[in-house]
Amino acid sequence: MLHMLIPARLVRLVVATVALSYGAAPSNGWAQGLPEKPLRTPDGRLVVSVELTGTVGSRDDTAFFNYTDYERNALRMLRLGTSAAWRPAAWLALAAELRSEDLEHPDVYAAYARIRPWRTRALDIDVGRIPPAFGAFGRRAYSMDNPVIGYPLAYQYLTSLRTDAVPANADDLLRMRGRGWRSSFPVGAATPAPGVPLVNGYRWDTGVQVRWQRGVVDITTAVTNGSLSNPRLRDDNGGKQVSGRVAMRPAVGLVIGASGAGGAWLARSVPLAGAHPQTAVGADIEYSRDHWIVRGELVLSRWSLPMPLLPASASAVTAVGRWVEGRYRITPRVFLAGRADHLGFSRLQGSDRAIPARPWDAAVTRVEAGAGYYLQRNLVARATVQRNHRGGGRVANRTFVSAQLAYWF
Amino acid sequence: MTISRGACLIAAFVLSVCADSGSGAANGTIRGRVSLQPGPVDAVPRVTVTDVVAGRHHFPVDRRSVVYLDPAPRAAFDAREEPRGRMDQRNETFVPHVLAIVAGTTVDFPNSDQTYHNVFSLSKTKSFDLGRYAVGRSKAIRFDRPGIVRVFCDIHSHMSAYILVFAHRYFAVTDPEGRYRIDGVPPGTHSVMTWSESAPLDSRRIVIPETGGEVEHNVAPLRR
Repeated sequence: MLHMLIPARLVRLVVATVALSYGAAPSNGWAQGLPEKPLRTPDGRLVVSVELTGTVGSRDDTAFFNYTDYERNALRMLRLGTSAAWRPAAWLALAAELRSEDLEHPDVYAAYARIRPWRTRALDIDVGRIPPAFGAFGRRAYSMDNPVIGYPLAYQYLTSLRTDAVPANADDLLRMRGRGWRSSFPVGAATPAPGVPLVNGYRWDTGVQVRWQRGVVDITTAVTNGSLSNPRLRDDNGGKQVSGRVAMRPAVGLVIGASGAGGAWLARSVPLAGAHPQTAVGADIEYSRDHWIVRGELVLSRWSLPMPLLPASASAVTAVGRWVEGRYRITPRVFLAGRADHLGFSRLQGSDRAIPARPWDAAVTRVEAGAGYYLQRNLVARATVQRNHRGGGRVANRTFVSAQLAYWF
Repeated sequence: MTISRGACLIAAFVLSVCADSGSGAANGTIRGRVSLQPGPVDAVPRVTVTDVVAGRHHFPVDRRSVVYLDPAPRAAFDAREEPRGRMDQRNETFVPHVLAIVAGTTVDFPNSDQTYHNVFSLSKTKSFDLGRYAVGRSKAIRFDRPGIVRVFCDIHSHMSAYILVFAHRYFAVTDPEGRYRIDGVPPGTHSVMTWSESAPLDSRRIVIPETGGEVEHNVAPLRR
């Protein structure tokens, strides 16, 4: 039973890492057992941090509620991230993060140069694989930025839409309801493959970004190669995405943000791909006080399709993801957390008029709740229960129990 | 660091069975300097690739040492009023970085910064979480047990500080030049401990003569 929950190589790596970390720890009685400070050069210009998270849980290879774009289970994953920041000059910083998931070769999650042209103005220009300008969740790159273990549906759940294949009509799309982990359409790539989420929370896009902060206002705008659903290192369709966010902090602890994005999302290989954009708007809010932190976010995405669906007026489909989440620290070591999440889709009429219009993909509702325990400041164990309901597909309901150990310095 | 309850009990026991070496004699002073080897004295934040800041992004740490007697002379257990301490939060730094207090002290943690802070500690000596509170507000915690308390901010990874809680008053925090002075030390042989964040605990024996006076005790601990 245990081997179904915990992959053996995950256990080996976690044990080895913890053992090595203990060996590297200073041998004093009072200090924490594991290293806690980032590595740095004596002048402090180069700083390196590490984050290791091991998540164990039951398999999800029939319902695929938690699969990511790389076909991995977000509730059953080992992730090692190494971040570095080098500040060779007062006006320049270089940042990068390498991530390895499930012990496979590391990917470049982030790699960009941040230029601050004026020393006295909080205006930064980022070039490279940059932090997302859209939304609030995408900028929270680390495990403990997420109150629970699972991701919000809008940033993780695979819809049936693909960037390299499209439906020829409404029936093709409706046929794939609830099958985003292995979707296929008659136009474009013939091989079944995973679909895309509304916003990809596992990859950053590549391009240029300008961020300006003044007082309580924070404005970010970016031009990138990919789209929200499919961030890319290299452009695959000749179209750029423009995205941006305005955030305000009207009071200490309160952040209100609004985002927008638009850009070509289909690969050049898709016939008639042209300039069919994915457009999205988002709104987010965060409030924290005392031992509470509460957040809410909404993402509305619209994908334009090259083929006229039925009825002819419907050549685009939309989806809305919205969720609220919170965390409460009940003692210095123990916290409770939860998220209520819903992903809905616009209705589409198929060719059979006898069947009423249905959402083009199966709506999903997810509730996740759990508790965490700080073993030390930078070593946290937590466990959550996640309940999913899907309004279609071969598996409608599934509950997952998962546990995670997160360590960073 | 051995300023535990056990150490205090042992000290009390020793005092109870031994003659009072300080009876009728003058108290002395231990003074000197702790010379820490040079090294980085800045705190650097954990790298978060979403919020890398161009240019220097260090937070200077006013690194001090604490010199104390362990075990403490009997006079250490004289009754005193309940003192109050203060650890401020300024420019994403705890000020002071090292605070030494006697058990029973209540420490105020005012937020004098431009942003939220969340002071907390997971130390066995005193575990607490003050939650997030805004600029201009202050919260307080009473420290009843001797020991070391590591203090952090839950929001800013580079913010840390130490509070050393003693069961007696025979301790001193070094000044910026490393100098310290412990007055009113009874005659006799004492173990003088030197604690530094970046060096192993140093222990030496010092003799205060019956005539009192000043005894110089300089320490140059090796960096850990």
